Amino acid sequence: MPGTFKRSPLKRPERPYIALGLEGSANKLGAGIIKHDSDGSTTVLSNVRHTYITPPGEGFLPQDTARHHRQWIHSVIKDSLKQAGVEIHDLDCICFTKGPGMGAPLQSVALVARTLALMFDKPLVGVNHCVGHIEMGRQITGAQNPVVLYVSGGNTQVIAYSQQRYRIFGETLDIAVGNCLDRFARVINLSNDPSPGYNIEQEAKKGKKLLPLPYTTKGMDLSLSGILSTTEAYTYDKRFSQTVEPSPESDTITPADLCFSLQETVFAMLVEITERAMAHIGSKEVLIVGGVGCNERLQDMMGIMARERGGNVFATDERFCIDNGIMIAQAGLLSYRMGSVTPLSETSCTQRFRTDQVHVAWRA
Amino acid sequence: MSEPTWHTVTVTIPLLSEEHARIAKQVLDVDRELQPHAVKRVLEVQGNNLIAKLSTLTIRLARLSTNAFLENIDLIVHTLDEFGTQ
Repeated sequence: MPGTFKRSPLKRPERPYIALGLEGSANKLGAGIIKHDSDGSTTVLSNVRHTYITPPGEGFLPQDTARHHRQWIHSVIKDSLKQAGVEIHDLDCICFTKGPGMGAPLQSVALVARTLALMFDKPLVGVNHCVGHIEMGRQITGAQNPVVLYVSGGNTQVIAYSQQRYRIFGETLDIAVGNCLDRFARVINLSNDPSPGYNIEQEAKKGKKLLPLPYTTKGMDLSLSGILSTTEAYTYDKRFSQTVEPSPESDTITPADLCFSLQETVFAMLVEITERAMAHIGSKEVLIVGGVGCNERLQDMMGIMARERGGNVFATDERFCIDNGIMIAQAGLLSYRMGSVTPLSETSCTQRFRTDQVHVAWRA
Repeated sequence: MSEPTWHTVTVTIPLLSEEHARIAKQVLDVDRELQPHAVKRVLEVQGNNLIAKLSTLTIRLARLSTNAFLENIDLIVHTLDEFGTQ
């Protein structure tokens, strides 16, 4: 309604609040410490991450990923405390990813969170991973009320805020866009260091041909598994060669051409469904969060669409768009300051946790 | 119909103190077993010891649940060690 001003229910803190956030829903293990000061400012005190990187051609499996997290979590937490210059005694709460994500890795992190909470008598705050991405994106970029495109290896959603919920406007009907890109990177044996998505982006820059791929937006949603199958099928085509240089004149199909074609197609689809959501709610801002949000080509394409609509795109750098602990601390501390605490008996993790299940009490 | 036979494994983990054993029990008790009809886990604190009694319907489940329990208690003990002196 015009003229209605909603005051944020989150009051300025009367003293500084400090929270530790622990993240481990996929192959990235993160610990971050955030401070909300009495002047209303938010400061990242530390953001430490260690990634489980598999050899080329291999993805990461739950048991191995959980083992990696168990091996690294103590040193990651200690580093984050040291860099922030705080001790566990100084924390107001311990935040951890409750879900969604992979079961065994999530549980490993939750066990440590619970143990620390009991050892130091600190409250626990279970956080939704997707809400963590959104809140960190809002904090870093200052975007007021954007349409959020959340794109990662595990999730692909178009989200808009309304009445204390992050509503899902559109999403993938099958696999996430990051999963599609990562699985194709495996097929062509790209390195997973620092991440398969980064290496696909670099490879795509060398591509010279746009090959026809199915374009599968489905209204507000999109489907990606068919595109992956078709792109993989091209590698069995007799024109495919791993060794030849990409060239627009010749008939050969190179991995670079396929990376380029795959990115252009899926990113165009993402831009379309984001634009559809923007048209629905009359928004001009787009905030891209999640690991795939690091991709500069996606940011560029989204920027072209946003500027045509008289708006702009917000994105964060790899410290914040790739899974990290600080986003869990941020979302957790906002929740904690509104009075929300997760009792110990409810600190189990869950692989399915919808973004719109969270009551966003800290916004009007 | 014959009664199902249960395979049992009892594991005793000595910790540094009764308080540590209680913390470990509280942390582990939060999560249910993935197949609660086929795997029963009961934890008990006796002095400084955490005692886990696992009853399973198959030998394979006995191996899996014991392995999972040991991995988890190892993680908790490491956490108590690494941060206990702070």
